[in-house]
Amino acid sequence: MLKHLFKLIWNKKKQHFLLMVEILFSFLIMFAVFTLAVYNYKNYQRPMGFDHENVWALSYYDKDRSGADKDSLALFYEMVKRTISHAPEVAAVSFVSNNSPFTMSMNNSVITRNNKTAQVDHFSADDDYVGVLKPVLLKGRWYGRADDGAALEPIVVNRSFETMFFPGEDPVGKTIKVGDHDARIVGVVQDMKDKGDYKPLGPGLYQRTTRSSYSWLSRMLIRIKPGAGANFEGRLYKQVAGILQDATVEIEHLDEKRVVKNNITLIPLIVFGVIAGFLILNVSLGLFGVLWYTISKRKAEIGLRRAVGATGAGISRQVVSETLVLATISLVVGLFFAVQFPLLNVFFMEESVYYTAILLALLFIYALVVVCAFYPGRQAAGIYPAVALHED
Amino acid sequence: MIRLQNIEKVYRTDTVETLALNSISLNVAKGEFLSIMGPSGCGKSTLLNIMGLLDAPTRGEVRIADSTPGYLSDKQLAHFRNKKIGFIFQSYHLINDLQVLDNVELPLLYRKSTARERKALATAALGKVGLSNRIKHFPSQLSGGQKQRVAIARAIVGQPEIILADEPTGNLDSAMGNEVMDILLHLNRQEGTTIVMVTHDEQIARKTHRLVRLFDGAQVQ
Ligand SMILES: Nc1ncnc2c1ncn2[C@@H]1O[C@H](COP(=O)(O)OP(=O)(O)OP(=O)(O)O)[C@@H](O)[C@H]1O
Ligand SMILES: [Mg+2]
Repeated sequence: MLKHLFKLIWNKKKQHFLLMVEILFSFLIMFAVFTLAVYNYKNYQRPMGFDHENVWALSYYDKDRSGADKDSLALFYEMVKRTISHAPEVAAVSFVSNNSPFTMSMNNSVITRNNKTAQVDHFSADDDYVGVLKPVLLKGRWYGRADDGAALEPIVVNRSFETMFFPGEDPVGKTIKVGDHDARIVGVVQDMKDKGDYKPLGPGLYQRTTRSSYSWLSRMLIRIKPGAGANFEGRLYKQVAGILQDATVEIEHLDEKRVVKNNITLIPLIVFGVIAGFLILNVSLGLFGVLWYTISKRKAEIGLRRAVGATGAGISRQVVSETLVLATISLVVGLFFAVQFPLLNVFFMEESVYYTAILLALLFIYALVVVCAFYPGRQAAGIYPAVALHED
Repeated sequence: MIRLQNIEKVYRTDTVETLALNSISLNVAKGEFLSIMGPSGCGKSTLLNIMGLLDAPTRGEVRIADSTPGYLSDKQLAHFRNKKIGFIFQSYHLINDLQVLDNVELPLLYRKSTARERKALATAALGKVGLSNRIKHFPSQLSGGQKQRVAIARAIVGQPEIILADEPTGNLDSAMGNEVMDILLHLNRQEGTTIVMVTHDEQIARKTHRLVRLFDGAQVQ
C-alpha cells in the first residue's frame, strides 16, 4: 500500500510541487527555530555558577587617576571600601574590573598551552570576590593574603579553562603564560554565566587586583544583607558621592541587570519565533485547504476505492498516509540541507544541538501534517460511495 | 445469488423527496446474465448500487451470496465488496494518476496479497481484455474502449462471483461496444460469473439471458 501511495504521489508530483516546497521551507524554518531554542535552552539549563541576588554594582567614574601616586590611591580606595563594608547592611565588598556580570564590557586575550589556543576572558577581582558573588570553588582555593609576595601572579581559572588547557590534569599549582608573564593557578571555579542565562560557557581566568590596580578600577560589587532596601541605597549613594567628590556614582542591581541582559537575547528570539509561528500557521492553513480541496476533487476516486474494498477508515488512513508520504519526500530534501550544519560545523555549536533540532523539526512537521490531514481524512471517510460515484 | 425483496429507495434532499425505487423484487440466479433497461432517471444505477452494497435501501431486504448486508459492519461490507463483487462503471472511474497496471491492481491492494501476486493477476486480467501492450500507459493515453477494457480488467482481477456493470458500452461506438460485450459474455460462459448489466441498447440487451425493464423506479417487465 505504501508503494502504491508513493506512486500516486510521485505521478502527481507536479500538482504537489508547491506543497512540497512549502513543507520543505517549514521544515527549514522549524529547524532554525529549534536550533536556537535548543541552544538557548541548553545554556539556560546550566547553573549560573554564582549568586547575583542582593548584589549591587557601584561604579564611580572620576578624573584621570593614571598620574596619581599609587600608594596614596591604594590607601584612599581601601579606606572607601572599609567605610562601605562598615555599614551593617553590607555583607561583603569587592573591587572588580568593568566586565562584571551582566554588563556589555569584555576583556579577553589569547592564551596558548600545549598547542591549544583559545580566547580567554580576563576578570580582575580582589580577595573578597568569593564573599560577594559566591563562585563555586571546585579545586584549590581563591587567592588571598597567602599569595602576598608570591613570585608568580596567582590566578583562579574556570572549569572551561581547565578542560580546554588541562585535559586530564589537575591545573592547581601549574603555571601558564598570561599575556607577557607567567601566572600560577591556585584554584578552579565553576563557569559563571556572567553574560546572561542564555549565553554559552567559555574559558575564563580571574586575576588578583594589586595596589597599582586602583589607578584604573572603577567598580565595586557589594553584597547587601537581605532586607536592606532603597532607603539604604540612598544613604550609600550619598556617602560614596561624598567621599569621591568629583566622581559620577552609579548603583545598579545585578538582578535587574540580569533581566535586561537576558532580554537582549530573548526579544529577538521571541520576535523570530512569532514570525515563524505565523509562517507555519500559513503553511498549515494552506496544507489543510489543499487537502480539503483535493478531497472534493477526488470524490470519484474515493467512491471507487470504497467500491473495490476500501473501508471508510481505510480511506481516511490513505489521506493521512498520502500526506505523510508527501511530507517525507520534502523532509528528505530538507534533511539533506539540515545535516550540512553539524557536518560543516557552520555556527560552532555543539553537534547535539543540531541533531536535537532536526529531530524536533521532523516530529513537528509530521505532527502538523497529521493534524492538517486528519479532518479532511475524516471527511473523506464519511463520503457515501454511491454518492461519490454519482458525481463525476 | 442476488435476492431483492420489496426494495424501496427514497432520496431526500432539503427540498424534495425522490422515490428512486418502488417495491422492486428481483432474483438473479448464480451464473445468470441479466440486463436492466429503462429511461434515464428511472433508478437503474440506484438498483445496481444497492446490489453492490454501495448503498442501502430505504426499505426491503437484500440477500447477496447468502449474506444479509444489513447486518454487516463497514469493514465487513468493504471486505464483501472486495471479494465477491466487481464493478464496471459507465464513466470508467479509472485513477488518472496511476498507470493501467496499477489501476487494475487496485482491488488486490485491499486484500492480503504480495506485490508479485498482484502484478501476475493484473497482467493476466489485462491479457483477457486484450490490453497486454498498454500496461505502462496512463488512462489519458487510452481510447474510450481501451479505458472500458481496463475497467473490466479491474473488475475481474479479484475473480468476483458477481459483476455489476452500469452501461459498460454506453460511451462506446457499436464495434467497441460489441467487443466489450464479447468479453462479458465470455466471462459469463467460461467462468460462470453472475453479471447484472444496465444498458440502453436493445441489441446488446438481447444477447443476455434475461431483461428487466424499469420505469419510474418500478419494475415493468
Ligand atoms: N444521491 C442522490 N440524491 C438525490 N437523488 C438522487 C441521488 N441519486 C439518484 N437520485 C435520483 O434518483 C433517481 C434515479 O437515479 P438513477 O441514477 O438511479 O437513475 P438511472 O436510471 O441510473 O439514470 P441514467 O440512465 O440517467 O443513469 C433520479 O431521479 C435521481 O435524480
Ligand atoms: Mg445511471
